[in-house]
Amino acid sequence: MAGGPLKKKVFAVIFAVWIALWASFIMRELFRKGYFHDYKALLSRGLEGKQSYVTGDRFYEFLTFCNANLPKGATFNFVGVEEGSIDIRRAVYYLYPRLENADPEFILVYDASDARKAGYERYLKLDDRRYILKKRRP
Amino acid sequence: MEILRLAISIAAITFVGYNILYLPIFKKGGLPLPEKLFISYGAGLGFLSLEMLLFYFIKAKFSLKAIFIPWAPLFIANAVPFRLLRRSQGIAAWLLAMTDRVIARTKSEAIHEASRGCRRQPQRSLRYRALKIFLIFGITFEILYALFRALIKPIESYDAIAIYAIKSKIFYLAGSIPQGFFRGLARAFPHPDYPLNIPLSQTLIYLSLGNLNDQLVKLIFPLFFIGILVMLYFSIRRFASQAYALLFTFILASVPQFNAYAANAYLDLPLAYYCFASSLALFSWLEDKKKTQSLILSAIMAGLAGWTKNEGLMYCAINILLIAIYFVSERNRTVEPRAHTLERNPATEGRPEQMRGANGVAREVIGAGAVYIGIVSIISLPWALIKRSANLVNADIASGGFIPTGILQEASHKIAPIIYEFQKQFFGPKKWNILWPIILLALVFNYKKIFSGITKYITMSLLFAVLGYIFFYLASPVEINYFLSRTWSRFIIHFLPMVIYLAAYLMKEELDI
Repeated sequence: MAGGPLKKKVFAVIFAVWIALWASFIMRELFRKGYFHDYKALLSRGLEGKQSYVTGDRFYEFLTFCNANLPKGATFNFVGVEEGSIDIRRAVYYLYPRLENADPEFILVYDASDARKAGYERYLKLDDRRYILKKRRP
Repeated sequence: MEILRLAISIAAITFVGYNILYLPIFKKGGLPLPEKLFISYGAGLGFLSLEMLLFYFIKAKFSLKAIFIPWAPLFIANAVPFRLLRRSQGIAAWLLAMTDRVIARTKSEAIHEASRGCRRQPQRSLRYRALKIFLIFGITFEILYALFRALIKPIESYDAIAIYAIKSKIFYLAGSIPQGFFRGLARAFPHPDYPLNIPLSQTLIYLSLGNLNDQLVKLIFPLFFIGILVMLYFSIRRFASQAYALLFTFILASVPQFNAYAANAYLDLPLAYYCFASSLALFSWLEDKKKTQSLILSAIMAGLAGWTKNEGLMYCAINILLIAIYFVSERNRTVEPRAHTLERNPATEGRPEQMRGANGVAREVIGAGAVYIGIVSIISLPWALIKRSANLVNADIASGGFIPTGILQEASHKIAPIIYEFQKQFFGPKKWNILWPIILLALVFNYKKIFSGITKYITMSLLFAVLGYIFFYLASPVEINYFLSRTWSRFIIHFLPMVIYLAAYLMKEELDI
């Protein structure tokens, strides 16, 4: 390296700080934030297993159940999942070509034991807290 | 098998991009092969997705044949000069000619660098070599880490899945952009007005894979990341040593926020790629106006930036503004009018030399500006037509709350949160390491340089970008604290590569490695 000795020292210190922070942030990400655990779990899974892991295995199981039992093009809405949440966005993605709608044919109840809505009846259930309501025919 | 298909599709996309850019840009030389390949990759994705959008107008279905075959005449047209060259000279003669060109280029580069006072061959000390090895290791690590993080899980982050992946899934399952999509189905999902470069690119990858693999499709994002690093490295190499270029490339690669966005399938990094490519090419042209290929490349990449995210249009406007400022500020210095122009223009006869030069410059600004606006408009036109016909408007503007004229009133209560968020990022090492204090030091110690020569245009482009974002914060009806916390650290990514390039440019004499 060339340049004044003071400048060289300043740059060396700045570079050392950069490297120290760089290494510590990677370690923090991997171990304190738990990414290492996630990567280890993801490595042993296939595509669907990975989709299930990132969505949450329990929620993904319900989405798979809905996918298998709702007709394509059907409209749905959720009870028990926060509106506008990432879970809703993931559900909308995985359930397409079924579409989210304010006045749906089906209500997907997730983690709510006795959800009732006028005009809807129980259609199918995965378990006591995860089930589908269907609009009654007039 | 899927990995092989993915690799072939990426190669095919790059090949299309290369062939599109070959005649107007690459044939004239000046760019090293890795840079050409990564520019071709982004251009290929952009042009192929634009082509897929055009399928909507002609009601055509997507298929790999239908998408790639229209480019075949271009491949043939580009291959003809190669064949003629080989026939006339033979392979050996052709290789010799290529070698001569490389030697000549290396010599001219050496002369060019010597004239800039650049030390290309610094001391080959052990420390110097160790530094280079460390930097190469660091960059390689960051690239592999970005690839790993992108490919270890499918698309799952909020905007990536809610805005972009859902559209690519719809297009793939329908085998086209369904007719009436923009007036109907698109409105069932957030932000129907967002451009479709990346969603359609994802659809293209699905078509190549033959299934909806939303894990492998994420490869396109770290490739943009590598593309930015390659462009940064070679752009710094034009005025500095290998170790110096590696140092700044490593700095960019190791910014935590930048690396994270190479893997989460958001569009901020692809936008940064197009904006950076466009800006670099523009500054190359500002340095040497004979390089019309740089002006064309800049316009193409700016147009594709607008086709990637709405913010890209702001960068198009900034570049056009810079061209105008350049000619206004340089017009008096331009003393060499074109002879033929003077002879044929009686209006300038008998006037002072400076006046004639100004006329020549005026013509050049109109010419360059027209070329730039023309290219950007051609690229933007199909999407603009769709947006207009389907009345796709940004949600903030549609709500009537976007009031550009009311920003002065808004400024009084919004400026404090904006400053607070800016300082939070400035002193936020978790996302940026100590990048911003370093940049501030570089600017303070080089304050005389930042508004001199070509550097002032780089500085201005960054200033305009920041001011543009501030304007949107002031004019937007979205609650300011929420808006800032959700967007500012992402928006910085759009111009981050240019900031690193500016720092490298400013410190080239002080940090002599």
